[in-house]
Amino acid sequence: MAENTIRKFRWFWPWQDEQEEAWLRSMSQKGWHLLSVGLAGIYRFKSGESHDYVYRLDYQTYKKKDEQDYLQLFSDAGWEHIGYMSSWHYFRKEAKEGELPEIFTDPESKVAKYKRGLTYLAFFAVIIISVSHSVWFKYPYSWWFVVRAIYFLLTASIIYSIIKLLLRIRHLRRI
Amino acid sequence: MVRNDINKYLPLTESTYYIMLTLVDPLHGYAVMQKVEEISKGTVRVGPGTLYGAFTSLEKEGLIVKVKEDNRRKSYVLTPEGQKVLINQIKRLEIMTRNGLSVKNLFDLDP
Repeated sequence: MAENTIRKFRWFWPWQDEQEEAWLRSMSQKGWHLLSVGLAGIYRFKSGESHDYVYRLDYQTYKKKDEQDYLQLFSDAGWEHIGYMSSWHYFRKEAKEGELPEIFTDPESKVAKYKRGLTYLAFFAVIIISVSHSVWFKYPYSWWFVVRAIYFLLTASIIYSIIKLLLRIRHLRRI
Repeated sequence: MVRNDINKYLPLTESTYYIMLTLVDPLHGYAVMQKVEEISKGTVRVGPGTLYGAFTSLEKEGLIVKVKEDNRRKSYVLTPEGQKVLINQIKRLEIMTRNGLSVKNLFDLDP
């Protein structure tokens, strides 16, 4: 019995986690169930019977010794841990009687999740800013414009992500 | 000084209030989720993401502490500081409830 798996590449920004969850659910409804997640937006799916699996994403950083506690809590509550991509954890649970299960049950804890993501981005932003002088004013090689272009895109996407996450938090606080 | 420290945690969110209420005696995560749903008569549900976040921040603030581990599940209990915070929250809620109940004719209007 040959296992039927497919690989898909799809890019999501950090504030699009709910779109990502919806996409994974629609894949499961078509009979493609998430098998694993890899770096840079690579998803592996396995074919099977159509299930109404609900996927939920958490952004969580913890010390290695706390991993067991974290995963135990989710598995006790009936959530299957599919895997993680950087610090994004992918969980799955079957929807029952049209009720969609949630891992975050109040807006405050959702805000806290985006704040954890923001902390990571802020750390990244500090590193980016600290090398800005070297990137823009040193290294007069002819090919250096490539590095500058990459640097510019990276900086722009980090700033954009920070703004988008802040707006998402503001929206949640109004609920 | 100490009072100020306590007030900075108040008011608690509804989830945090119920989580702390279940931790007067040591309890592990899954039992907390079940007990919150039970004692709140289903009005409050705590998902694992919300609970893990609450455990992490309450432990960091010194309001709860890990006590034991059985079957790979860690139990938490309120610290004396956590008890003070919870008591103060309950007092606030009592004032809120009394104020609500004292509004004349409000409940007569309730269809």
